Amino acid sequence: MAGVDELIAKEGVEEETVEAVKSLAGAYKYGWETEIEMEYAPKGVNPDIVRLISEKNDEPEWMTEWRLEAFARWEKLEEPSWALLNYPEIDFQDQYYYARPKSMEEKPKSLDEVDPKLLATYEKLGIPLKEQMILAGVEGAEDMPAEGRKVAVDAVFDSVSVGTTFQAELKKAGVIFCSISEAIKEHPELVKKYLGSVVPVSDNYYATLNSAVFSDGSFVYIPPNTRCPMELSTYFRINAENTGQFERTLIIADKGSYVSYLEGCTAPQRDTAQLHAAVVEIIIEEDAEVKYSTVQNWFPGDEEGKGGIYNFVTKRADCRGDRSKVMWTQVETGSAVTWKYPSCILRGAESQGEFYSIAITNNYQQADTGTKMVHLGRDTKSRIVSKGISAGKAQNTYRGLVSMHPKAKNSRNYTQCDSLLIGDKCGAHTVPYIEVKNNSSRVEHEATTSKVDEEQMFYCRQRGMDEEEAVALIVNGFAKEVLQALPMEFAMEAQQLVAISLEGSVG
Amino acid sequence: MLKINNLHVKLEEEDKRILKGVDLEVPAGKVHAIMGPNGSGKSTLSYVLSGRDGYEVTEGDATLDGEELLDMEPEERAAAGLFLAFQYPVEIPGVGNMTFLRTAVNAQRKARGEEEMSAADFLKFVRAKAKDLKIDADMLKRPVNVGFSGGEKKRNEILQMAMLEPKMCILDETDSGLDVDAMKLVSEGVNALRDEGRSFLVITHYQRLLDHIKPDVVHIMAAGRIVKSGGPELALEVENNGYADILAEIDA
Amino acid sequence: MSTAVKTQAGQISADARPASGAWAAEARTDAASRLAAMGLPTRRDEYWKWTRPDSLISAAPATAEVFDNQGEPLVFHEIDRLKLVFVDGVFDADASDDLEGEGLEIERLSTASEKDIHWAKDLYGVLETAGQTPVQSPLAVYNSAMATDGVVVRVTGKPTRPVSLIYRHEDSASDVILHHVIKVEEGATLTLLENGAAAARFNQVTEVDVAKGAEFHHVRAQGRDHDRQAITHIFARVDAEATFKSFTMTVNGKLTRNECVIDIIGDDAVAHIAGAALGDGAENEFHHDDTVFITHDAVACESRQVFKKVLKNGAKGVFQGKILVKPDAQKTDGYQKSQSLLLDDDASFQAKPELEIYADDVICSHGSTTGAIDEEALFYLRSRGVPTPIATDLLVLAFLADAIEEIEDEDIAAEVTGRLDAWLTRRRG
Repeated sequence: MAGVDELIAKEGVEEETVEAVKSLAGAYKYGWETEIEMEYAPKGVNPDIVRLISEKNDEPEWMTEWRLEAFARWEKLEEPSWALLNYPEIDFQDQYYYARPKSMEEKPKSLDEVDPKLLATYEKLGIPLKEQMILAGVEGAEDMPAEGRKVAVDAVFDSVSVGTTFQAELKKAGVIFCSISEAIKEHPELVKKYLGSVVPVSDNYYATLNSAVFSDGSFVYIPPNTRCPMELSTYFRINAENTGQFERTLIIADKGSYVSYLEGCTAPQRDTAQLHAAVVEIIIEEDAEVKYSTVQNWFPGDEEGKGGIYNFVTKRADCRGDRSKVMWTQVETGSAVTWKYPSCILRGAESQGEFYSIAITNNYQQADTGTKMVHLGRDTKSRIVSKGISAGKAQNTYRGLVSMHPKAKNSRNYTQCDSLLIGDKCGAHTVPYIEVKNNSSRVEHEATTSKVDEEQMFYCRQRGMDEEEAVALIVNGFAKEVLQALPMEFAMEAQQLVAISLEGSVG
Repeated sequence: MLKINNLHVKLEEEDKRILKGVDLEVPAGKVHAIMGPNGSGKSTLSYVLSGRDGYEVTEGDATLDGEELLDMEPEERAAAGLFLAFQYPVEIPGVGNMTFLRTAVNAQRKARGEEEMSAADFLKFVRAKAKDLKIDADMLKRPVNVGFSGGEKKRNEILQMAMLEPKMCILDETDSGLDVDAMKLVSEGVNALRDEGRSFLVITHYQRLLDHIKPDVVHIMAAGRIVKSGGPELALEVENNGYADILAEIDA
Repeated sequence: MSTAVKTQAGQISADARPASGAWAAEARTDAASRLAAMGLPTRRDEYWKWTRPDSLISAAPATAEVFDNQGEPLVFHEIDRLKLVFVDGVFDADASDDLEGEGLEIERLSTASEKDIHWAKDLYGVLETAGQTPVQSPLAVYNSAMATDGVVVRVTGKPTRPVSLIYRHEDSASDVILHHVIKVEEGATLTLLENGAAAARFNQVTEVDVAKGAEFHHVRAQGRDHDRQAITHIFARVDAEATFKSFTMTVNGKLTRNECVIDIIGDDAVAHIAGAALGDGAENEFHHDDTVFITHDAVACESRQVFKKVLKNGAKGVFQGKILVKPDAQKTDGYQKSQSLLLDDDASFQAKPELEIYADDVICSHGSTTGAIDEEALFYLRSRGVPTPIATDLLVLAFLADAIEEIEDEDIAAEVTGRLDAWLTRRRG
């Protein structure tokens, strides 16, 4: 068995290289790298690596077994090829599956003990790791409470959680918010009960790999009849080179509870592509509600299509209880390749699922993203609003499933998929699957594809905006319905991201 | 201020000549009106001056304070002080009127090397201007021109004009689709902006707008050229006798 | 050339191909080798997941009882047309009109394929081959190899009468493979009508070349035989300023899959395809599948897909449609509509309306709805004294109207509406 002794420490990257990379970063604001001493598991994946990750996290035997079983299944699976994505074959043995800052070897007891370099990283990213109020921005400031809002953050750096804020205050409310590695140790009964219950170990190629090698992620439990006193968030940062990030998030909203959860992601700019394969499982009991918002801003690759994150994500919410509700909102601007379908299983009667998505692809980016709405219970409702924007030489696909099972009487779905093309070298595609097996349900699907309206462009330019400003304004208008679904501080960030992502797309 | 010299324009995609040698000069502080029958080329002139795609200038030039207009991008012309009040203001779903105005104001300030306006200053500024034009807060929040009545759209154009403080304003058939009250409101808005440093080119089919916005000079345009120029009395002549008489007089 | 086809026992094979003259033999051999490379469809194929290919690829078809329409005149009987009759897939000269018409050249495929040289060489199996992208249709390839008869029509003028293909079914075990080739020359116009039960199992390919400025109008009636299993394919190539319009009415039938692949290759062309299907699973299963691919490869073309299905008693409907806009096909106007009315809880509908777009100056959209009859409209009609069954049928006809409107000829459209109304009335009892 590969032991801890085999861990190799890799020296920090040369300062010069870092500077060179920074200067290349261009429009991508988060392309810099933190110079920090890391320890890595040997490259590649095999049962020994799986055991090593489990050992690093100090996991109980049942967890190790669970992982090994997943690995055995993964070896028998084939990488799917049905998505409209075209990328070089991934060598799964040419990746590091575990990388953590050396300073994290002894888990810090509080944020004060965390390596200042790590704290500085998050500060630079604009992520508050101090327990402070998020101050209101300018736009819409009148809607914010005067004292600002609190957001608890779990910060994941490569393979480990660096720290989680506001834990004490949340604990008072009965809310558990911690890293998944901590939850496996501290709350094994909850993890055992729910892990893999929404996304089974063998669900798909990437989810199965994640089940075997996930290193960290976030865990949330909201007790019955509790409204989470603040927004919860996880910030994922990939820093190390040639390292895949495999995080696992598990959210349980018990009866009558409510939580809003935010997720953000960035990575340094590098010439080689990096792998990210995450799994998010959400369990929603009777009368509970979960809002899950993502601003995905992984490094998208450069203008020539070099580098970038390959993002294969399985996200699924199981609305188990009657009248339970989930809302997915995603702003996908980053990643070289995106393969992601946040889904809703509407099992409980009168349960509701919503999916709001903006996917922007520019340069050589490719996105194949959408959702699945599986209506199993009676009187269930779902709504899909997808806005795809394609520029440069990018390909952008909406892929979705709406399924009304025979027992899902009186259910409703409404889907609106709009695509916008900027330039004549990109593509926009729509691949919806609709399956209706009862007649009391109603499914409506509409999709449109067009380019940015020339009249609108001229109007904006006559008022003095340059082409890029005009495009950003019009695209923000096009995506308004989705931006409005985001929590406010995310909405403002997302608006700016729309403009930045489209830089260089016109003219 | 605005100088147009022997301007010839054809449609880019087909062999159709629209302007056939337009000569026009609007000095600073003056209001000139262009009248003419449908299809005479009035709207084309406003589009060509503001830089809309689809037209090809085959001959002639146009300058604003000596600067060659026709080589500039539309936004550069706007920053140089040219404003077009559209005959059919464009709807932009999803984009709030306020966001649109602020983006435009700041884009022009930036282009002129001025500092961008803070959100608070902007808010004060826009509220004051909106009040003059009886534009309520609700209209400022709604998406640009979406669901606006004809009168609201035209008032919104004048509000933009007031905010952007251009040197040279072209009003393209601003009276079309307006009832008497709305026309009065819009005209008052325009008159309030009259200033010795600011010129207007008012394009209209009917004389009635010119009762409210008194022009210094009236030009008659027909078949792609300015065929007659005169004082305000020329507009009255058109009102009373129609274009036929004038056109006949020129043909003769 | 070796053309051994690897088929499993119990499946159709393209080994024993009909004897043909040089050009046709070459086309058939080519098809057989393409089929060998491609293989027969399976349920694992993306475009066969909702329709089981099994009964279409079994070595022998299930027998189908000959439908007794109790002496009712067949559809289109009042329309003046040039009638060509096939009985269980064999051309019946006695029952047909003479093979001649103003501005037309008509031949049986079996006659044309015996010749050594024929103009059909440039189209037979050629449009079908081109239509194998973006999605493969192995059963059409099989047809090109194995078709026993059909018509080859060249249109040079504007014939006043439609050409009408009438398919009679007399043998309960007939397994029929027909292949038609239609060439509408520059500026010419043709209306093609098709009706009749055809066979126990029917595999049809129609290749249509619509040249510059030409017009092709197609109206097809499938029904009312209950045991039918049919797979039909249209492969159309539409050149500049040409018009292609096809409408299909379907009632009854255990399994019907209508595939249509349209390539728009010339600027300013128009292609419309529509279908109205009524399915009642009470007397036999009803499974109806429309699979349509339209490729825009030219500037400023218009395409429309309008498909309506009314389903009850376990009837199943499938719609798979794609608009593919190639990189230089600017100013494309593409629209796709697929709607189903489920009259009871056992009926089901599955749809995959796709857009794949590589040009930016386009307006493309699709809409798909599935649901029960509009209760408010029903109540409104009832409150005016219309009994529920009649009110329901009125609303069903109203629902189908969009698709029927795609038929340009008013008399034919009226005939189609009348037939659908009669079908509904019979079921009302």
